[in-house]
Amino acid sequence: MSPIIRFDQVSVTAHEKTILSDISFALFPGQKAVFYGKSGSGKSSVLKTVLGLLPLTRGRVYFQENPLTPASVQSIRSCTAYIGQEPILGAETVRDALLLPFQFKAHREHRPTDRQLIEVLQRLQLPVDILSQKSGRISGGEKQRIALARGLLLGKKLYLLDEVTSALDAESKQAVFDVFSDPDLTVLSVAHDPEWLERCDMIFGLEAGRLTQEKAT
Amino acid sequence: MKTLDIELPQMALLYGLCLLPGFLLWLIGLRLSRDIGIGVLRMSLQLALVGFYLKILFDLNNPWLNGLWILMMLLVADVSILRRAGLKVRYFALATFSAIASSILFSTAFLVILVIQPTHFYDARYIVPLAGMILGNCLQGNVIALERFYSALRKNENEYTTFLMLGATRWEAVQPYFRDAVKAAINPTIAGMATMGLVSLPGMMTGQILGGSEPWLAVKYQIAIMICIFTSTTLASIINLKLSLNSAFNAFDVLKNELIEKT
Repeated sequence: MSPIIRFDQVSVTAHEKTILSDISFALFPGQKAVFYGKSGSGKSSVLKTVLGLLPLTRGRVYFQENPLTPASVQSIRSCTAYIGQEPILGAETVRDALLLPFQFKAHREHRPTDRQLIEVLQRLQLPVDILSQKSGRISGGEKQRIALARGLLLGKKLYLLDEVTSALDAESKQAVFDVFSDPDLTVLSVAHDPEWLERCDMIFGLEAGRLTQEKAT
Repeated sequence: MKTLDIELPQMALLYGLCLLPGFLLWLIGLRLSRDIGIGVLRMSLQLALVGFYLKILFDLNNPWLNGLWILMMLLVADVSILRRAGLKVRYFALATFSAIASSILFSTAFLVILVIQPTHFYDARYIVPLAGMILGNCLQGNVIALERFYSALRKNENEYTTFLMLGATRWEAVQPYFRDAVKAAINPTIAGMATMGLVSLPGMMTGQILGGSEPWLAVKYQIAIMICIFTSTTLASIINLKLSLNSAFNAFDVLKNELIEKT
């Protein structure tokens, strides 16, 4: 089995500051990996680098063993769900936010039914009436779960998660853990939450852009 | 009917009129005499130069010379648009030039060749002032379009990135900002058309009436020029924004912030 994501001696520099230095790792389908470290250690940059948002100064990023290039970046992005600490929903109501990706040509054919919307909300412990609420009015934790719901509706298999459980209560957190217990889903995450770290099978420590620890559990 | 000339003593009288607002401003504590002096001097010198060039242009009425004059106006407009929109001239000059040149030439040619139909389409009396007027208005619209688009994109960079992550192409992801920018660019022209004649008499119409034209003829020219201004502003801002995308993003569709000088 080949890795879904592989970093080969990747270095990233922005504004003359080293953000990532000589990072190598491989993530196989179904694996759950987490990067942890102090703020400013470069954790979030690892996720952005996978998505082609930061230019590499050295090394290569591979997605399903194909190098990340301008030509391949859109296919990587369309297979990946990125959920940040404060996800942007990009539409006025929650329903429109969930349906937003289906306006784009890549997903136009796969618009979900109302039933599918309700199912995914229930799976994430969200009330059905949230659909008619304004995106700006819902809490940070709800936003994170709506962004996650959007990934699930798109049938994404690879999730890049940045502190995704940081704003969740115990019950919602459990719902998120349940979603990612699915062996078909691959996760590359950034987190401090010990409960999250416990559930990951690969843990990477980062300090000043360098890998300091690599542990498979 | 010939327009009455303004003789030199009367011109001097006119400059003397500036002393009245100058004095009032000084009285209320605004020390603007230097700025006013420079403003009046620059206006006089620049217009005198334009008058001098136009005189030669009209006397010679050579198609190449007229074309060269329009080309020069386009080049000056190109740099002016990009500077005022806060974009690096070197990277966006070709996109902006292509956009304004194609839309100005199209609208002016349409107006002169199909509508006004002078004996020679290159007649300086028609082509030079009409192209200049259309360009002047188009310039304003393009500054607004570019400035609005890139500042919105910069402000909403995370939202734009989210759209990309949700499967949007670059073109799909910039749509909300693109539409807002085009709307902002053409709104003043649409609003101007809607209130034209009610609030004030438009400049070109006033000029023609002073020049001895019948009011009806002046009205028809004013309508013609407004429609051409609206057409070229819309065309130029859409083409300009679309072409500028090629310079503004890297190969991974990330905005090159270093090419945008201000927000």
